[in-house]
Amino acid sequence: MLFFSYFKDLVGREVTVELKNDLAIRGTLHSVDQYLNIKLENTRVVDQDKYPHMLSVRNCFIRGSVVRYVQLPPDGVDVDLLHDATRREARGG
Amino acid sequence: MAVGLRQFTQRTGDGAGEPILDTENGEELIRVQPSVSIVVGTRAPESPGTLYITSKQVVWLSDVDRAKGYAVDFLSLSLHAVSRDPEAYPSPCIYTQIETEDDDEDVDEGSDNESVEALDLSKVTEMRLVPSDASQYHRLHWCVVVDNLFEIFCECAELNPEPIEEEEEGHNWVFSADQLENEGTGEDPGWHFFQDPTNPIGHSNGDNDLANNVLRLQINDQRFEDAEEMEQENESDHHFKNAPNGEVA
Repeated sequence: MLFFSYFKDLVGREVTVELKNDLAIRGTLHSVDQYLNIKLENTRVVDQDKYPHMLSVRNCFIRGSVVRYVQLPPDGVDVDLLHDATRREARGG
Repeated sequence: MAVGLRQFTQRTGDGAGEPILDTENGEELIRVQPSVSIVVGTRAPESPGTLYITSKQVVWLSDVDRAKGYAVDFLSLSLHAVSRDPEAYPSPCIYTQIETEDDDEDVDEGSDNESVEALDLSKVTEMRLVPSDASQYHRLHWCVVVDNLFEIFCECAELNPEPIEEEEEGHNWVFSADQLENEGTGEDPGWHFFQDPTNPIGHSNGDNDLANNVLRLQINDQRFEDAEEMEQENESDHHFKNAPNGEVA
């Protein structure tokens, strides 16, 4: 549940979600659920030439299982907090 | 479980009918949206048809051809979105991306007549669902309809998480640092000697050299005493006593 809590804190921030099919979508994180399904608003496709049909999409729902990476805003990454949280998670706490 | 888009022909009743759902396994009809055209991949739009959103899948049935219908499980929908930019597509619609079988060609080659069609469908990665009809509603009306459908898609997608994998399997090969330490305590304390960075395995280094130690052990081993001498002694007691002592500990 670590990443669920973490992503919930990022709601409203700008993120880039890279899918396993190489499509990368940038947008405002609207919501995330326990399966790490991600809803984005004000989206735009990073590589617009390659995915012209995605131009018209302004908000979308991405299935958690197809996400490869989520690129975060640098100031949204609290390294100390994440260190603690991952250690706690590893201990099963 | 079928991955990707597939043909759907099981209908109830006469006329256009309704899709037959897997109610025994809890499949429920969530929403029926009449007057929806479907765009499969890069094909031309097909219409008229009716969209059925169930708790497990999205089904589109042609209103005029009972043999024509498509379905895709929510498990195979990687992404769905609202598309309302007229430049990309003339009407507001739901845009979906469909997860397909990995590119390896292990698709079943069925012997039925539909196999060619089915094979094509299983490779389709995009689908648009376009609600519209002949009546001249304002474009805004369709935007609202599409937004509404989008929310239903979201809710149903959340009803269909990935099947849970056997979590127990992992415990056989995941070692925590604690486990490793505990195993280490049972070893001969001398094992640290191998970790001495100044004495990597395979390098000769005086007294610490493993091969040298073994060599000396063997030389001092009483088992290597002259065999004839042992026999001449004729004292079986002595002979057996020495043998276990001579074992390399």
